[in-house]
Amino acid sequence: MEGNMMLILPVLFPILMGIAVLAGKGFRRNRKALIGAVLAGLAGSGVLTGAALAGGGDWFRLWQLTEHTAVEFQIDGVSRLFAALTAAVWLLAGIYSVVYMTHEEDECRFFGFYLIVLGVLIALDFSANLITFYVCYEMMTLTSLPLVLHERTREAVMAGLKYLFYSVAGAFLALFGIFFLTTVCQDLTFTPGGILDPAAIAGKEGLFLAAVCCMVIGFGTKAGMFPLHGWLPTAHPVAPAPASAVLSGVITKSGVLALVRVVYYIAGPDLLRGTWVQSLWIVLTLLTVFMGSMLAYKEPVMKKRLAYSTVSQVSYVLFGLSLLEPTAFVGALSHVVFHSLVKNALFLTAGAIIFRTGWTRVSQMRGLGKVMPVTLGCYTLVSLTLVGIPPTSGFISKWYLAQGALASRTGAFSWIGPVILLISALLTAGYLLPLTIDGYFPGADFDEAKLQERSLLGKEPSLWMLVPILILTLGAVLLGCFPGPLLHGLETIAQSVL
Amino acid sequence: MAELAGQKAADILIPGICGFGLHLRLDGFRLIYTLIAVLMWSVSGVFSREYMAHYQKRVRYYVFFWITFLATAGVFLSEDLYTTFIFFEVMSFTSYVWVAFDEKKESLRAAETYLAVAVIGGMVMLMGLFVLYDLLGTLDMDQLPAAAAAAARQGYQARLYGAGALLLVGFGAKAGCFPLHIWLPKAHPVAPAPASALLSGILTKTGIFGIIVVSCRLFGADAAWGLLITGLGLITMFLGALLAVFSINLKRTLACSSVSQIGFILVGVGMCGMLASAGANPSMAARGAFLHMVNHSLFKLVLFLCAGAVFMNLHQLDLNQIRGFGRKKPLLAGCFLMGALGISGIPGWSGYVSKTLLHESIVEYRELIAEGAAGAAGAAKAEAVSAAAETISRLAGNPVLWTAAEWIFLITGGMTVSYMLKLFFAIFVERNEDAKRQAEFDAMSGRYMKGASGFVLAIPAGLILILGMLPDLTMNRLADLGQGFFLAGGMEHAVHYFGLANLKGGLISIGIGILLYLLVIRTWLMADKQYADRWPKKLDLEELIYRPILQVLLPGVFGAVFGLLDQYLISTLVTVFLAVSAVVCRSMDHLADGIILLARRTTHRQAKEPVHHAESDRLARWLGRRLDSLARLRIWRKDGEKAAGRASTASSSRIPGLVRLEEAVLRNGRLVEESFSFGLMLFCIGLCLTLGYLLLEFIRF
Repeated sequence: MEGNMMLILPVLFPILMGIAVLAGKGFRRNRKALIGAVLAGLAGSGVLTGAALAGGGDWFRLWQLTEHTAVEFQIDGVSRLFAALTAAVWLLAGIYSVVYMTHEEDECRFFGFYLIVLGVLIALDFSANLITFYVCYEMMTLTSLPLVLHERTREAVMAGLKYLFYSVAGAFLALFGIFFLTTVCQDLTFTPGGILDPAAIAGKEGLFLAAVCCMVIGFGTKAGMFPLHGWLPTAHPVAPAPASAVLSGVITKSGVLALVRVVYYIAGPDLLRGTWVQSLWIVLTLLTVFMGSMLAYKEPVMKKRLAYSTVSQVSYVLFGLSLLEPTAFVGALSHVVFHSLVKNALFLTAGAIIFRTGWTRVSQMRGLGKVMPVTLGCYTLVSLTLVGIPPTSGFISKWYLAQGALASRTGAFSWIGPVILLISALLTAGYLLPLTIDGYFPGADFDEAKLQERSLLGKEPSLWMLVPILILTLGAVLLGCFPGPLLHGLETIAQSVL
Repeated sequence: MAELAGQKAADILIPGICGFGLHLRLDGFRLIYTLIAVLMWSVSGVFSREYMAHYQKRVRYYVFFWITFLATAGVFLSEDLYTTFIFFEVMSFTSYVWVAFDEKKESLRAAETYLAVAVIGGMVMLMGLFVLYDLLGTLDMDQLPAAAAAAARQGYQARLYGAGALLLVGFGAKAGCFPLHIWLPKAHPVAPAPASALLSGILTKTGIFGIIVVSCRLFGADAAWGLLITGLGLITMFLGALLAVFSINLKRTLACSSVSQIGFILVGVGMCGMLASAGANPSMAARGAFLHMVNHSLFKLVLFLCAGAVFMNLHQLDLNQIRGFGRKKPLLAGCFLMGALGISGIPGWSGYVSKTLLHESIVEYRELIAEGAAGAAGAAKAEAVSAAAETISRLAGNPVLWTAAEWIFLITGGMTVSYMLKLFFAIFVERNEDAKRQAEFDAMSGRYMKGASGFVLAIPAGLILILGMLPDLTMNRLADLGQGFFLAGGMEHAVHYFGLANLKGGLISIGIGILLYLLVIRTWLMADKQYADRWPKKLDLEELIYRPILQVLLPGVFGAVFGLLDQYLISTLVTVFLAVSAVVCRSMDHLADGIILLARRTTHRQAKEPVHHAESDRLARWLGRRLDSLARLRIWRKDGEKAAGRASTASSSRIPGLVRLEEAVLRNGRLVEESFSFGLMLFCIGLCLTLGYLLLEFIRF
């Protein structure tokens, strides 16, 4: 153990709190203590993460495995972005769960694993080399599994298994790539611009590209990239709303982080530019973008629709990464932030609707504006963000992605990409806005008596649920109006890796 | 460009907003249009107080009313297309609330159309902006002409056309240009009247604003682009007027009329490009287009508010139902008349001035090509480039075509006269079929509209008259301020609006209009003294083409394909993989056993029962017999004759034993032989495989 201990604290603290919540008998009887512990855990790790990000020393070695492999943590621009995002979103979704989880069973298990996953994610964000990263990555899959099968219905268990199998299959695909990389270079520390020099892989280019391709598809599993996206629409809808929110908003982003690390910090964009791997990657992401939107457009169940939307939106990010171009890179990473805020807000809204009314299908939600006008207002704003209507944030990322695509030298993809992004945006409007329209404009023949009967009129969710949604919405909109600092930070990262 | 008209301009830069910052400017054109926006919103805002009094959710209406105002003003003030787009999108979404406001079925459907056109138009426009920004590196309107010229010189003309076309779709959808005009005739009638006035009077102008920027700054003197815009303008103006003549709904007629008038403006914008391409000063067309924009805003404000006055009393818009409502209501009739006379282009009202300028611009261009200026320019171009350019220059230089254009222009003007006559006569002159209803209408005379509403209605109506009567004093000055935006210079000679040559065009239109009214509207379009809707219901671009494609065809096909990919791809792959690998592994498992089995079934079949070889025991029998006789001989020698009979019994015979022995020997021999051949066979197979491998290696290297 050497280096700055501050780095390990935000990792260990939530994990220990989580274990305490899981093991402590008192928490099962005393809900107040449980909530207190959970909120303290979340807030504490938020503070610790902030302290670690702000503190100077940015390197820590947990232990040395072999001569060349070590479990090491390090903070750079990308870890800052992901860790800050994770801690913030986790806290907000946690506050939301305080009330939401009252209608689920076995809260201790949920909150326990919820905290543990946070620690693992922070560790993932801080990982300094590919080995550490891979370990955390697998840990994340395993510890987030209980969140998926929380309800323990047959459907939930099957979905959990699907999640597990897909994740493990993806991780093993990636592992093959890691094995290859260890043969050409021994030290897999993340370095901006990649660690491989062309001389090391001379004569093995074919194998190298195949390995990278395996890693792209394998890590793409978590990011919901075609062809291994299948777990997303199955796993997200069955989990409790806050869990689906963070699964969709944050955990899918760990797949993105993995690809950023592998492509921009290990393999190096220069070695991949113009190869068949890049073309394949672009094709897969564009296919996913369109497929996700189209299936969301056809999906009647709200949470499932949102899950398909995630499939599509995370591939916006991957598309930006696959172009290997600075502007697109900025667009991709900004979309990580924006989509995370938006998708969390959307899933939390869906949860609030289920919590209050029990409605799961979009067709049931006519007249929702009479039940929860403020929540629906937030929904509308974040929907417009996701469609990419200015001046909200989704527009900014789309602008950067499209400019990056047009500036990249990728032949026909440079214009097919933006076209597909816009068609997908159109479909996004098509699957998100009907809820707003039917909610606020249910039609002159709408019968309010039914809502009256269930005393639903004007029943906003409680502040515990509403405030996180409001904060996320505000973030999504304001980041669009004033994206300067964020974009500036991302441009710095882009300059270092490209 | 502000210097062109010798004006001062105020620039406002707000950096950091939405990444690139906002860039606003206040100069001639923008000043006038912002003032018009203020006028329109104040007038319809005051009018709304009475019109909306009986509606619930007024707060929602007013909130979106004023947000839309800010966004619209933002569009007209914007100095770069990025800013334009931001405000444009906000405006599109907030104005949605107007259309859907009363939540009736047709309103919601119209709102859906409106939103779909707005979203699709917005996305297409965004694509255009992507391409344009990538190509030019700037979206600043001042820098566009130079950047576009540079791009064209570098051989990016095709991409520039592509970007322009995408922007045209986006802005054209908002302007109501054919074939994207579909939302106008549906959305305007269902929105509250003050909102319809704004939708029609000024929101469509934001689209025109964008088209002017694209046409005048990207394709300033491009004959092909000018032809495209002029052609679209002519189609739009004629089609809109045709729909308006057929319509029997007051607000729908006005909405269709909007489409038609937008066509007039587009012709002006297109002629701007044509005149510039012929080397002339496009100021005539620019001034005509700009003045017609201003005029149309005023006309539609007045006319839609009059329609609102009718609707808030009767809650009906069908001409047969509201027929005769306007009798004995001089203020309403007067205001409506101002709007009607203005829009019909009657000399003395403002519409005449702008239409004359537009008409003159076509005439000027035709005369130019008759002189050969454009023809020469076209010929020079045709030499340089392809067949497409040759076709364009032939079209642009064909006087017959431009005579036809002039006549379409005049006929459409006539149609405008005829449908306005139809509206005016139906509402203000004729009596209702139902005498009782007419009496009710007459009784409303004093209290159909509050004083404030009447007052604000009279303001734009009065403006139309003032502008029309004193064109040199008012409209020319407006045009001086506005033309700079079109990058057009000042007029070389003053136009004598009331000179004989100019009056002729107006009078021809009026003549055509009166004829149309008497011969078509009063006869064919009337049945049983009622106004009849003779437009075929099925002939609706939206229902016929757009909705089936967008709602059924595309989602159906793509949804099915991707649904299959999503649902079955992985599971099919897994199943196939499992099945194939199971078969392969099983076969590998059984490889050795299988060969043995095969051999035993075929070449080395196992005998089921002992086989008697007839010949093979011959030796044994012969030997046995000899041995037996030998044995008998020995016994005979020992015991003599007595034992002879006993010795011949089978039990003591040696034959069976020998036969068995011989069979065993033979069987063993066969087995040895078979195993040996089996071994040889395996060896052969191995040899073949080795040879094959060697061959393969040989081929590879």
